[in-house]
Amino acid sequence: MSEQAKSSDSSVPRGILGSNALKSYLGAYGFMAPAGILVIVFFLIPVAIVLYLSLTNLASSNFTSNLAIMEFIGLKNYQTLLNDQFARKIFFNTIFYVLVTLSIFNVSLALLVSLLTTHIDRSAGFVFRALWILPRITSPVVYILIWKRMIAEAPFGIINQFNEALGQPTYNYISTNPWVFVVVVNGFIGVSFGMIIFTSAIESIPKDLLNASLVDGSSKLQRIRYVIMPLIRWPLLFVVTYQTLSLLTSFVEIQLLTDGGPGLYRTEVWSLTAYHRALSNYFGNAQWGYGSAFAVLLVMIGVVLAVIYMRVFRFDELIAEPRVEAL
Amino acid sequence: MKARDAVFDTLKVKVDERPQSLPQDLVEALRLGAISILVLLIAAFLFSGVIGPLFALGGVEETVMDVLTRLSLLALPFVAYIGGASVARRYTRSDIARALGLAFSSTVILFAVISAGYYVLDYGVFAPRQSLQMTLSQSEAGIRVDAVVAGGAAETAGLQVGDVISAIRRDAVDLDAFNRRLSQSKEGDPLRLRFKRGEEELQETVRVVLVSDKQLGALWPGLALALAFTAIIVFLPGHWAPYIALVGLLSPLIVGYFWVIIATFSFRTEGLVPLDGNDNFGGFTLKNWESIFVGNIAGLEFNIVPIFMTSLAIAVVMTFVVLLVSSMAGYALSRMHFPGRRFFLSFTLILHGFPAITLLIPIFIVLLRLGNIPVIGELIGFNTVGGIALVMVAFQLPLGVWLMKGFFDNIPWDMERSALIDGASRWRTYWEILLPQIRPGLLALGIFAFIGGWNAYIIPATYSIGTGVSNLPVFLNELIDETAPVDWNQVAAVGLFQLIPIFIFFIFAQEYLLNIYAGGTKGSS
Amino acid sequence: MKVTIDNLSKKFGDVIGVENLTLHIEDGEFVAFLGPSGCGKTTTLLTLAGIYKPTDGVIRFGERVVNTVQPKDRNIGMVFQSYALYPHMTVFQNIAYPLKLKKVSKADQHDRVRQVANVMGIGELLDRRPGQLSGGQQQRVALGRALVKEPDVLLFDEPLSNLDARLRLTMRGEIKHLQKDLGITSIYVTHDQVEAMTMADRIAVMSGGHLQAFDSPDELYDRPKTQFVAGFVGNPPMNFVDVSVQASNGRFFAETESLRLEVQAARGAPPASYDGPVVMGIRPEDIQIASNGSVSGEIFVVEPLGREDLIDVRVGRHSFLLLADTEDRHQAGERVSLAFDMEQAQFFDPKTEKSLLWQ
Repeated sequence: MSEQAKSSDSSVPRGILGSNALKSYLGAYGFMAPAGILVIVFFLIPVAIVLYLSLTNLASSNFTSNLAIMEFIGLKNYQTLLNDQFARKIFFNTIFYVLVTLSIFNVSLALLVSLLTTHIDRSAGFVFRALWILPRITSPVVYILIWKRMIAEAPFGIINQFNEALGQPTYNYISTNPWVFVVVVNGFIGVSFGMIIFTSAIESIPKDLLNASLVDGSSKLQRIRYVIMPLIRWPLLFVVTYQTLSLLTSFVEIQLLTDGGPGLYRTEVWSLTAYHRALSNYFGNAQWGYGSAFAVLLVMIGVVLAVIYMRVFRFDELIAEPRVEAL
Repeated sequence: MKARDAVFDTLKVKVDERPQSLPQDLVEALRLGAISILVLLIAAFLFSGVIGPLFALGGVEETVMDVLTRLSLLALPFVAYIGGASVARRYTRSDIARALGLAFSSTVILFAVISAGYYVLDYGVFAPRQSLQMTLSQSEAGIRVDAVVAGGAAETAGLQVGDVISAIRRDAVDLDAFNRRLSQSKEGDPLRLRFKRGEEELQETVRVVLVSDKQLGALWPGLALALAFTAIIVFLPGHWAPYIALVGLLSPLIVGYFWVIIATFSFRTEGLVPLDGNDNFGGFTLKNWESIFVGNIAGLEFNIVPIFMTSLAIAVVMTFVVLLVSSMAGYALSRMHFPGRRFFLSFTLILHGFPAITLLIPIFIVLLRLGNIPVIGELIGFNTVGGIALVMVAFQLPLGVWLMKGFFDNIPWDMERSALIDGASRWRTYWEILLPQIRPGLLALGIFAFIGGWNAYIIPATYSIGTGVSNLPVFLNELIDETAPVDWNQVAAVGLFQLIPIFIFFIFAQEYLLNIYAGGTKGSS
Repeated sequence: MKVTIDNLSKKFGDVIGVENLTLHIEDGEFVAFLGPSGCGKTTTLLTLAGIYKPTDGVIRFGERVVNTVQPKDRNIGMVFQSYALYPHMTVFQNIAYPLKLKKVSKADQHDRVRQVANVMGIGELLDRRPGQLSGGQQQRVALGRALVKEPDVLLFDEPLSNLDARLRLTMRGEIKHLQKDLGITSIYVTHDQVEAMTMADRIAVMSGGHLQAFDSPDELYDRPKTQFVAGFVGNPPMNFVDVSVQASNGRFFAETESLRLEVQAARGAPPASYDGPVVMGIRPEDIQIASNGSVSGEIFVVEPLGREDLIDVRVGRHSFLLLADTEDRHQAGERVSLAFDMEQAQFFDPKTEKSLLWQ
């Protein structure tokens, strides 16, 4: 049929069609260019470099930013990493940290807070959410300072002051329960992201639907269970996946609170190890190459999770074809 | 739709509900209480018996699961009473006598059941206590031993009735202090007691033992508490519940931020109490705030204005660049055909979940290299505001592009077609027609970006040297690194100084931030 | 401006939007694209607008091939179902937008917008925003914006379907009038056949991406060339019965086990010569309830339409829709006899669904 069309009218300017298509692509690439360049310069090239670094023994003692003269040592860093007697512990520490913080705080508590703040007076809800956002917008140094003061030993610690007032024994919490506070401290920061997404999702449920359920005779609790929860399934999944990755890569608060201690790697997580090995002079010498090996493994975990995440989010629905073909 | 069906299901439940007799109500209350008990027991078992051991297997030395177990068990009776009282609440308005009778009877029964459980399992009030196996009373001379248990710890150590205890080691104690000391000790701990027998000064070491005396009398305070709690639940207005829950959940933060405010206005603190130089209550001072504006903290000289302006500059530059770059890419991905579109879309999603922080080292190398390029290097190289802002823009791009695409997807195609037919180019369509319509999205993303930029620490700290481009968070860290000893109240003041503008910003911006779901994540729902 | 479409195809991947469409639209003509949703009529319209690029075929505006011409260079005006007014602009800015893009001077913009607004009767609304207007007013603004640049071709994409019934009637007349006054070639997409029948000079009936018929409303109604067109045009729809047409002694009869109707020679001969049963179509208005009718049946359902009742009559295992005066007060269950006006009967080939009477 297309043959017929071509032969039936030779005046169709085929060549122009081609160059027009090219022109319209150029337009699209123009829109994409700023993002594309940033992604290439600050993601793609760095990923390539980190891969390469993990195959070198670059350290602060033999530092060079010239990739060509770095000493290539193959997979030796990875070998060292696998033989590292603490790698296993740090790995499970990371899983523990992510799972427990995510399930208790970033998801459950965030959901609870957004449900509570959407079921009270609207302006009161705004106040409570503003308070919940405090940990995220406070400088980590000060936020951790607050928590350090909360759990410090008597007479400085606030919790211990309450303990004393109640006639209870006082504790050195950072050595008795370091994980509890690592989880709580990060958890209180993590609540706000889910809270905002969930609240926004709940607010975008049509008011008619919410009113209809009350008119139909359900209580507020039943409405949450049967109307709101099913409708925010997707944001729930989104928060779960997005926050998993955020937690995997977050280490600043842990670094400031326990720096992986007390003792040997008691609260050390993978990203903190990458940072320790690579950037902080933990052993007097920042081992950039070795730290990169840790980073590469984290990148791989991140990519795998992101791919799963895309599957879950039905990627195909996101890329429905544009319905305009003009330039 | 599913939700509608669910609503009708609940309707059915309501229709089936008929007035119940008192015994029926009681059975329902007890059933709810029993379910609560069971759920919390299962939770406690999961924490301490399954999840805890699993992580221990991986070498994780954690106490989180212990704490969760203890919290579940602590909450167990109260949750059970709430379960029972929730049935009684139906009658709070119509028939108070019935409500209270029902609630109290269910609470008493549940209390008995729980107490029986405690008794059998040696838990709660029946848990073994640290004891020296003697009866003491406070007398004027000191702590008098009224009785010793035959064959018990005290008798074995050689204490006798009539001895008067004055001190543990060298610490003089009264009965309260003695009991506190006892309750803090563990089984087998030696307590060296000083006591007088007649005129004789003696010292003996008594080893602490655990004794469960299981006196039923110990239950009465618990029952009183249970009944009082039940009464509160019955009469508590329903709309107070969320407020109580919210304040309860927030309490650690409220206390913490209360401390930080006190701390910035005082010389030093112990717990929540401000103290002066002589350890007396007081010591209020404006010094911590003053020195920020004077520009001298413990000898570290600075000018707060350029630091503040750098913070602002990073945040503002970053916000605008993030908005422009993400909305352009989001527009192209949402509205235009081009080879590589699918690839870039999936790639954006991968980046979205990418641990960007792992790239700190290589980005450092990239910035060093960029710095070597003439002209451009001056703007975006290592140790420049531009470079730092661009790195942070790149880190925010995945979220930004993805959000913007979602918002563009929600604008009707006819809008775009109409503009094209009216004679607009794609650029004008984007700029004049579509951008104004995704204002909620731009605001939401802008707020995210601004907060991120204002608080940026790790990137400015890693990629800048000296105070040339230090923003408030970096300055804060410098303060800690370069003053010794660190005046933490001073640090708190700087931290609060940084927090206040962004907090005020957030209070006004929250309304717009809540639009983030309106377009952002809908593409997938 | 003449619009010529030759062998136009538009595919989205494997999905066919429209296939092998050939239409020649005269200068100043008002053409309606009529069809059920998903039939390709809107795809064709958007391809004409330049929003979609044709997969194949040629589109000409006048003598110019516009296949690759950008929408903005086609000098067309378009009115959308959703009106697509720019919510952040005032009515004035909306109407002036095409002029602004053409770099018309401010003063001229002002004059022309005023002029168009007065023609559309929205002169008072120029400072409002679209959100503050009623549906009918928004419709007029959209029309004004399409007209202000004096387009060569006007495109309408179901512009009236969001209006209430009363307003739709008024706007129908106004658009028709305006189009005749201005003489702009217009293409009007709709799924509402009453709109198409009353407004269009010619109607292109489409189904499944293919052109079914392209004719004047009367032709489509009286001489449908396919069973699809016969069934789609006319409301309530035509009744279809499988019959066999027999010739005996120069007379023709359409027969089923419960029917035997005589057909005039002119209509009866072609189906009689067809080998096997054919599909007979007869419109509801061509069946009357009459005391001397040749067929008897039982009333199954009576649906009051106001002025008339729509009655479903069962004859054997056939069912016929027909219209009767409300005054007659027919009841379900009533036995009636029917008179068929067989001069209006249509016959179709059951395999090709083409008419046996008109080619």
